[in-house]
Amino acid sequence: MAGTGSRGRAERRSAGELESEVLAALWATDRPLTPAEIQAEIGGGLAYNTVHTILKRLYDKGLVLRDADGRRGAYRPAKNAAELTAEAMHQALDRGPDPIAALQQFVTGLSREEERALRALLAEGDA
Amino acid sequence: MRFDVYSPLALSLLLAAAGPLTGRYVAPAAAARVLAVAAVVTAGATTWSLVLLGAALLGDMPPAMRGAGQGGAAADPVPVMIGLAAWPALVVVGVRLHRAVRAERRTRRALRRLCAGHPADTELIVAASAVPRACAVPGRPGRILVTSAMLGALGPAERRALLAHERAHLAHRHDVLVTAATLAAAADPLLCPVRSTVVYLVERWADERAAAAVGDRRTTAHALARAALTAQRGGAVCALHFADRAVTRRIAALQSAPEPSLGSAALAVLALSTLPPLLAADATGDLFRLLTGAPL
Repeated sequence: MAGTGSRGRAERRSAGELESEVLAALWATDRPLTPAEIQAEIGGGLAYNTVHTILKRLYDKGLVLRDADGRRGAYRPAKNAAELTAEAMHQALDRGPDPIAALQQFVTGLSREEERALRALLAEGDA
Repeated sequence: MRFDVYSPLALSLLLAAAGPLTGRYVAPAAAARVLAVAAVVTAGATTWSLVLLGAALLGDMPPAMRGAGQGGAAADPVPVMIGLAAWPALVVVGVRLHRAVRAERRTRRALRRLCAGHPADTELIVAASAVPRACAVPGRPGRILVTSAMLGALGPAERRALLAHERAHLAHRHDVLVTAATLAAAADPLLCPVRSTVVYLVERWADERAAAAVGDRRTTAHALARAALTAQRGGAVCALHFADRAVTRRIAALQSAPEPSLGSAALAVLALSTLPPLLAADATGDLFRLLTGAPL
């Protein structure tokens, strides 16, 4: 999978978009990440200093925390707001009409054969 | 009037048939916009036709009430039965529209509530949940809501594709198009297939924007496949969407060349959608002449 981004020319990313990507990268893994690891993960020729600036901004907003007991300079996502959102989401799901399904959802359901076809597609891509 | 007043109904059927075809052969951005506009215009004309049919009933009142010397029943263009049926139909349209608007409001309120407690100037809202989901939350500013389970399932480039996809929904105000098509289908149930096509097309549109942002259609296709498989496992997708094969079709579309932006086909649909209001306007003129006693 790695390096597929180099196939075509990607569009330039704004500061806000980069913020989302860094936050998404931190949430995607269970362990804290250092700026260097984030830089490697996000790719696209992003400067180390830029990653630092973005992390600082996320830290000031209270969205990421510096990992105190772990490695020096590593960051992990702050859980509070995200847990509240999850709670509200589960409540909304239990209560009745699912607001997310009512709106544009990234993906919808699959049949058995579709599931098989998609697995084959991904297996071929990873090989 | 005899013919014109029914034509918006016939044209809604035609649009319902032409919609999916437009979606298949025209670039999604153009097709989605044209179909949403056509649906709203046609639904408006259909509703107006019902009003005309109902109003024509007034023309069936005893001749004494609308001036003497009229030709009587032979000159009446709308059978009484149809005139009578138009009123309950209008009530149904009203109720359906009211329900649709309320459902729309409720959805938006529920989604905005999910974003509470996050800084105002942040685009990405993460929910620390094991249920894999992702969606765009329209508003000012628009937000992207993704659960940690969904983020964890995707690779770095695929996460970028997901974010770019949701961002495209927000940047191009896809919620407005979908809401417009939803309300049109509520007013004119014949347009339900057009609504489904618009819903599918905004997803295709966002897929294409994501492919452009990541610079790779294949990565975008993989992101879709992985997200769909993850959501399937997490039981996050509702059964209603089960049979529409939408994800598979979107992936197939990403694996082939992008659709040409067939301006002529889009224009044809747009031209088709101008017919209902024109004919409805003509029928309106006829009705006025009928009610005022002028010759038809």
